[in-house]
Amino acid sequence: MNFEEKLQKTFSSTSKMLDPEQFINNLTSTRYTQALKRSQAISGYLALIVVLFVCILGFNELDHGAILMDGSYYYSTSIDSDQNEDSEYFDDLALYIMEQEEDIWMAFSFLDELEYDKIVNLMEEES
Amino acid sequence: MKTDRELIQEFQRGSDAAFNELVRRYLDLVYRFFQKITPDKMEAEDLAQTVFIKLFKALKKFRFESEFNTYLYRVNVNTANTYFKRNKWRNMLHLDQAPDTGYVETSQEKQWRKEEVWATVVRLPKKQRLVVMMRISQALSFKDIGNILDMTEGSAKVNYHHGIKRVKLLLGNNK
Repeated sequence: MNFEEKLQKTFSSTSKMLDPEQFINNLTSTRYTQALKRSQAISGYLALIVVLFVCILGFNELDHGAILMDGSYYYSTSIDSDQNEDSEYFDDLALYIMEQEEDIWMAFSFLDELEYDKIVNLMEEES
Repeated sequence: MKTDRELIQEFQRGSDAAFNELVRRYLDLVYRFFQKITPDKMEAEDLAQTVFIKLFKALKKFRFESEFNTYLYRVNVNTANTYFKRNKWRNMLHLDQAPDTGYVETSQEKQWRKEEVWATVVRLPKKQRLVVMMRISQALSFKDIGNILDMTEGSAKVNYHHGIKRVKLLLGNNK
């Protein structure tokens, strides 16, 4: 017996074949399972991308204007300008209250309660 | 009876029944191929299933540039290659523990198991491995092997000659 025949004989098989209908049923269910897994994986990746996108947006929003210096965060001038605008608004409001209120001591005590102590300087500047 | 081409065209138009007909037609061929690759029947069935799942995806875009038969052999060979790569170390390490389902010889000739032969075949360079695999497992002609593997008949013969020489050496046929 030559070498090739010996090899081919090694692979000779007499085992029975598969039932085609059973095989097709298994094949179909495997295909559906794989398709389901694939769509779940795609949904998962999409959800992950959305979450990451929202996180990045949120972080940028929170981090807006913050400057890290010597291990501490400082805020940029844009936030300072907002604070200045607020301060000016309160100053104007305080002056308005002082002018409109008949009992000036009531107005002083009201501003005192709000811990607003710039009113004297403001009134001097106004006069 | 519908031809393979007609069935594939029907499948491409959305008929799963046409694909199932192809499965019925080629299941034996595919399963026999993998039975020669592995002694484990479940594993052979899994590999056959892998082939048909690949076909289910690939046939939707099949352009009939080659015969379906040829294409199917290529898918078989590629799947077998992947299987060998995956199990290369396992085959080499657990050779002695594998069940003996191969050739049983009562004479004084050396007896081989499928695993032993495949463990030797997978050590060949790619072209030689593919040609030897197709020749010894399917007993295909060199012309068919050449068609399937996109090489000339002469090239298939040369690759087989070198491959089988090396297999012979590795299996120690001189005993």
